[in-house]
Amino acid sequence: MTDLAWLTVAEAAELLRGRKLSPVEYARALIARIERHDGRLNAFLRFTPEIALEDARRAETEITRGQWRGPLHGVPYGLKDIIDYSGLPTTAHSKILADNIAAIDAHVAAKLKAAGGVFMGKLATHEFAIGGPSFDLPWPPARNPWNRDHFCGGSSSGAGAATAAGFLPVAIGTDTGGSVRNPASMCGVAGMKPTYGVVSRRGVIALSYSLDHIGPLTRTAHDNALLLDLMAGHDPLDPGSAPHAAGGYAAGLDRGVKGLKVGVIRHFYQSDMKADPEMAAGIEAAVAKLADLGAEVREIRTAPLGEYLACNRTILTSEAFAMHEKWMRERPQDYGALARERIMAGAFVRAADYVNATRLRRKMADAFHALFSEMDVAVTASSMDPACRIDDPQAVEYTYGRQARAPFNVTGSPALSVPAGFSKAGLPLAIQIVGKPFNEAMVYRVANAYEQATEWSKRHPALA
Amino acid sequence: MAEDNLTLEQVRKMAADIGWSLSNEHLEQLLRATRAARARRAALPVASLDPADEPAHVFRLSSAMEALSDARSLTPSPSPERRGEMDGGK
Repeated sequence: MTDLAWLTVAEAAELLRGRKLSPVEYARALIARIERHDGRLNAFLRFTPEIALEDARRAETEITRGQWRGPLHGVPYGLKDIIDYSGLPTTAHSKILADNIAAIDAHVAAKLKAAGGVFMGKLATHEFAIGGPSFDLPWPPARNPWNRDHFCGGSSSGAGAATAAGFLPVAIGTDTGGSVRNPASMCGVAGMKPTYGVVSRRGVIALSYSLDHIGPLTRTAHDNALLLDLMAGHDPLDPGSAPHAAGGYAAGLDRGVKGLKVGVIRHFYQSDMKADPEMAAGIEAAVAKLADLGAEVREIRTAPLGEYLACNRTILTSEAFAMHEKWMRERPQDYGALARERIMAGAFVRAADYVNATRLRRKMADAFHALFSEMDVAVTASSMDPACRIDDPQAVEYTYGRQARAPFNVTGSPALSVPAGFSKAGLPLAIQIVGKPFNEAMVYRVANAYEQATEWSKRHPALA
Repeated sequence: MAEDNLTLEQVRKMAADIGWSLSNEHLEQLLRATRAARARRAALPVASLDPADEPAHVFRLSSAMEALSDARSLTPSPSPERRGEMDGGK
């Protein structure tokens, strides 16, 4: 049998359903791997093997009785530690919430429980999903499995590291300005920010109410689609929840890209910002591969990247500061330095500037969505650079804003980061595939075609 | 740009005006953060906005409220005679 650490969700589901693999055996294998290696990667903020084994035993009993619940039944998963799991602390990786015990499950956690998933624990995050990587918090920052001296991206840092390291086949993150797609890019896995409102935000600590999205990180596009199917759905108790979050994201996954129209947003990484040459070459090679596979590729233009980023950050920091003001007044010393400074940026944003940013948001979103009358997906950069060293604050600060993910938080579009090769130093490169709102299925279809035509998702880091 | 000249003393006063007391280290952070926020404001193309451009999210009644409202509109109002009976009239 394949090394259990590298089973995809789809492969594991087939084995588990056919009773060729025991959920308990699977959980024990991953628990042993986490115990052996996570001391050097810090992907888990709270590792819960006792819950995992209880979930695995329950899954085994049910599957043995023929009560298979679906592709996550008996499959291990983890949650970024801003997502509530009843009875456990939701700390947001912060001293501020060290004792914050969740009373009930977040909507998404309840869905994954109902799907029969095996809960392995809470995963490291940048503090409050904004400050990091930080060394002045109660828990250390997660590190990159491809090279532990390097940053693993964030803010869903533990989710990226755990998935890439073979600790989990799936982890759930959140994305307000790119926080699912950044660790996916840095760690060489697939990370989806679905359409705004497709996954309920209820029970997830907000960073920015109107920009927050919940999404899965997996090692393949197929797994990602399977997970989003389980996570998506209307929640009347989330005011941002979309009434027609339908699912069916894995449908048509194998239809290829022949004849599909792909728009390449080159100005984001060639002129608005200049991507690192290896990253730029990786993106161009991926675009050429899509053309080889039969896609009709042409260059498109949208608003300048700087305008999107200014819009995203103005809204994000305003909404974040509104939520954090009380703590910022009463206990500013309890934040790590990075989160404190990034949240402080919202303290004196004028009301008119916030409102104008939301007005621009609508204009930019409408203009971007209109481009889909002539294309099926857009492709662009995710990160401009491969992962920098984690102990180099200047490099972290420099690369933090060098990204093309935030535009799609502004537009609310589905956007997926997938591996696109490796740098000479052996660090992952990535591209981003963006779809029409609520058409995640098309994004997954293109990602799957690219993935099947390359070897990137089959490479795994060798943990020391 | 005037915002680039924002000083620590100005930020200290801005914080004090809203009753926010911070250490010097945190005030330095607030100064850098406020400068960054103002640079972002300068990058927003607000001149392109027309008065009719509405915010991305405007106030909207929840579906539960809409359902309640629909239910009320479907309930016929009592006739004047019926209202009289309900009021205790003849």
